[in-house]
Amino acid sequence: MIRVLASLGRAGIGAVGGVGRAGVLLVAMFAGLWELLKRPLLLVEQVYSVGTLTMVIIAVSGLFVGMALGLQGFYILSQFGAEATLGVMVSASLVRELGPVLTALLFAGRAGSALTAEIGLMKATEQLAGLEMMAVNPIRRVLTPRLLAGVIALPLLAALFSALGVLGGWYVGVGLLGVDDGTFWAQMQAKVDWYDDVINGLIKAAVFGFACTWIAVYQGYDCVPTSEGVSRATTRTVVHSALAVLGLNVVLTALMFGN
Amino acid sequence: MSTAPDEVLVRIRGLRFLRGSRVIFDGVDMDIPRGKVTAIMGPSGTGKTTLLKLIGGQLRPDAGTVEVDGQDVHKLSTDALYALRMRMGMLFQSGALLTDLSVFDNVAFPLREHTGLTESMIRKLVLLKLEAVGLRGARELMPAELSGGMARRVALARAVALDPMMIMYDEPFTGQDPISMGVLVKLIRQLNDAARLTSVMVSHDVAEAGSIADHVYILSGGKVVDQGLAADLAQHGSDWTRQFLKGSPDGPVPFHYQARPLVDDLLERTA
Repeated sequence: MIRVLASLGRAGIGAVGGVGRAGVLLVAMFAGLWELLKRPLLLVEQVYSVGTLTMVIIAVSGLFVGMALGLQGFYILSQFGAEATLGVMVSASLVRELGPVLTALLFAGRAGSALTAEIGLMKATEQLAGLEMMAVNPIRRVLTPRLLAGVIALPLLAALFSALGVLGGWYVGVGLLGVDDGTFWAQMQAKVDWYDDVINGLIKAAVFGFACTWIAVYQGYDCVPTSEGVSRATTRTVVHSALAVLGLNVVLTALMFGN
Repeated sequence: MSTAPDEVLVRIRGLRFLRGSRVIFDGVDMDIPRGKVTAIMGPSGTGKTTLLKLIGGQLRPDAGTVEVDGQDVHKLSTDALYALRMRMGMLFQSGALLTDLSVFDNVAFPLREHTGLTESMIRKLVLLKLEAVGLRGARELMPAELSGGMARRVALARAVALDPMMIMYDEPFTGQDPISMGVLVKLIRQLNDAARLTSVMVSHDVAEAGSIADHVYILSGGKVVDQGLAADLAQHGSDWTRQFLKGSPDGPVPFHYQARPLVDDLLERTA
């Protein structure tokens, strides 16, 4: 019994310590932001590696999710004779919820885990210590550009996901199931609001991008510098990111669409 | 020590360092003379690498001071520490080359980070540094394509790119074949004398380190157990030092782990 309590306590203290270290790291990364302004190329490289290289999986997933939504939506809406609103259903659910959330989950699996593994291996092979000894701050040089790149890339990826999702829904609804083309787009245009739906969805995506990338770089930077440590950190990145995204989504949805 | 104060580049006093509850250093005093090659030797696990990290300011001591060129490393602000590190090179055991950059870009990295030199100037400097370690022809290769010895030579070229006042070598000879070992021994001595550097080398390769070191410190159990000129120590050092330097299997450090007599163990009936 005592042992269970002790191990619970240890886990609790470990978790609080981890949050504290992640916070300290975040402040240190922010301190590097203005240096980054002078060297935008560092940021461009990272946006390419976390953003551009993730585009294919996001595009394909968006298309498939949109097609499935089109099918499901059509079957349900047609029972009420409301299949004309299929465009609204597909696009609203994509830009508000599915786009940002699924993109963030895919991002954590594709880009977040890669970030953790990259930074963890740099730590294990003494590259981070080497940078320090070359008088280059590894937090500012390596971590800050990656964090900012994640915040920039995820909204763009979520927009891509939603756009292709709408196309997928359109192909199934209009192309295969015979919903009227004009109504599909007109209803969507009338009911989906630029600010309330699209912008809020993109803000969500930016928050998720921040959370996922912060978790990923922290796990890499804080990992035990062995091959086992790096693999554990990579797993933790995906698990923690997924939980953070889903949890934050509830909060953000309540704040944005609550009334 | 006999060296005058201004001839000492790194002065360590009363250094104490704990890792968890384990004492790594307990009252270490050292003077590393300017312009010389100093070897710090000791058995595995005596914290030789830790000592270099303490000198470079990557770790903080629990007590004591480390002064480099008259500056207390652990009292410096971050900016001043980074300024000091620009004058210190360090060669890591693994080389610590940036794996996503070519050999050329690795050597150019500190120049690009810290100097406003033009690309054509940087190119000339990098080629000269690579020429000094004999790898000018390998500049297009990626770190993954290099052998261990070549990676260390590239790292050496990178460490001297900013013309530092001192270089720290972390186990430079470990895991090297005899030829690359010989190359490294020659390079370390050459660089030290040609560029008037100060070299600090931690190693347990007694023969190689001893052959180029001017001064030797021997660490064991968290303390300096012996020091002096390399040649003298092998003759006049303590029993322990001589055992270590000669690599004798038995001596003050016994071959046998503590145990009761063998006969007792053999005659014991297993219940």
